[in-house]
Amino acid sequence: MIELRNVTLKYGERTILDKVSIEVKDNTIKAILGPSGVGKSTILKLMLGLIKPNSGHVFVDGVDITHLKEVDLYPIRRKMGIVFQGNALFDSLTIAQNLSFFLRENLHLPQDEIEKRVREQIRFAGLEGYEDQLPESLSGGMRKRVAIGRALIFNPKMILFDEPTAGLDPVSSRKILNLITDLRNHSGLGAVFVTHIIDDVFAIADRVAVLYQGKFIFDDVTEKLHESDHSFIRSILSDKILEL
Amino acid sequence: MPLTIIRTLGNQIILQLKEFLLTMQEFFIFSLRAFTTMPKLKKYWRDFLDQATICGADSIPIVLVSSISIGSLLAIEVGNLLEEFGAKTMLGRSTALSVIRELGPLLMGLMLSARYGSRNGAELGAMKISEQIDALRAFGTDPVAKLVMPRLAAALVMFIPLTALADFSGLQAAALLAQHYHKIDPGIFWNAVYPRLVAKDFVVGFLKAPVFAIIITLVSSFNGFSARGGTAGVGISTIKGIVVSSGLVLIANFYVSKIVLENM
Repeated sequence: MIELRNVTLKYGERTILDKVSIEVKDNTIKAILGPSGVGKSTILKLMLGLIKPNSGHVFVDGVDITHLKEVDLYPIRRKMGIVFQGNALFDSLTIAQNLSFFLRENLHLPQDEIEKRVREQIRFAGLEGYEDQLPESLSGGMRKRVAIGRALIFNPKMILFDEPTAGLDPVSSRKILNLITDLRNHSGLGAVFVTHIIDDVFAIADRVAVLYQGKFIFDDVTEKLHESDHSFIRSILSDKILEL
Repeated sequence: MPLTIIRTLGNQIILQLKEFLLTMQEFFIFSLRAFTTMPKLKKYWRDFLDQATICGADSIPIVLVSSISIGSLLAIEVGNLLEEFGAKTMLGRSTALSVIRELGPLLMGLMLSARYGSRNGAELGAMKISEQIDALRAFGTDPVAKLVMPRLAAALVMFIPLTALADFSGLQAAALLAQHYHKIDPGIFWNAVYPRLVAKDFVVGFLKAPVFAIIITLVSSFNGFSARGGTAGVGISTIKGIVVSSGLVLIANFYVSKIVLENM
């Protein structure tokens, strides 16, 4: 379980998050919905301890990671995988090398075990035959699947997705959303995904939190979003995509 | 009204100063991290070899071109000057001192600041904005140990032979020009070089190599790691890295010479 408790984050004089609290339980898919530039991706980075809040606390499985040193954060981060918006694949490495990179870096596994895990992820991502290709030669959807495969490489309990369908065509978007649902249904993997596309939220999220002007104005099961009478939520329900 | 302007200006200066001090603090921590991760060199030996090739072998042409041209020019200009005083036979001595103490290491430093520093800044900056550096941290790899430390170690190792190469080729070019342009016998030229060079001359020149290696690598890498704001941000951070490291190389060049010459 991941929890942000009364977290405030400022960039210079600008307050990005103002005493926000949010909880993500294991084995659930939680969406964080909000317009661009509101600090959604920042929340994922806070959850991983990549950035520190100005005040408040971040808990992962009950451990307060707010002030942990970088080296102490590494084992915590392995409980979560992350899929960055632009995938953040290493562009000079092949697909197989991208998938094996962190296994070689951080786990002292025998070569055949590494190869086995990479083969599993290649199969999972449906990329057989593309092992030796560079990421630039793949389509956006394929690259996203490689990034998801990489996020799964340490067998995490939760995956964090930063705008998982941004820039993808409708078919690829659908495949990625199905993949997230399958991971939860078949592997019991929880997910947090930030998005500005409301249809994605209704398609797969169990719960949704709406971030607006540095605060969560809604945090409940997805179905209840329709019942909200907040003017911003009413407007996004009618517009479907947030382009603010 | 003037009071408001002064107050606004004052606030701006304080803000800039605060930002500068914060950047200095971050740079200090970053540099410390790069040095303290040196024990991981065994793990990242492939990265070290890659970087050694990039900053070492691949930099040979630019170091040769710059040192040969400056050695040749020095021979012509200094030779003309010495001729006026009837002291052309001192050309070897004066050229050797200039090249070994100052121009060899300085030109090598400036060339590598442009070549190696810009590559570091652009590559790491692109990795920063495409979130590859965040990905390293997110999956449990120390990006400074993986990306900066091998660059630093490679530069520390490779800058010394590159300085020697710059000195050697600069002096060879000067000797050639002395022979063909000023009609000075090579024996006379080299006789004014070898017996008169003392340890201090080499200490001044070769001490600069590791100093420049540290400045160029850490400044350019730090600027790459600090890139923000898309592709334009990569350009800005790369330029900043080159300008700052070149400036620091020039300043360090002066102080290393001054300190060594005054104390040896």
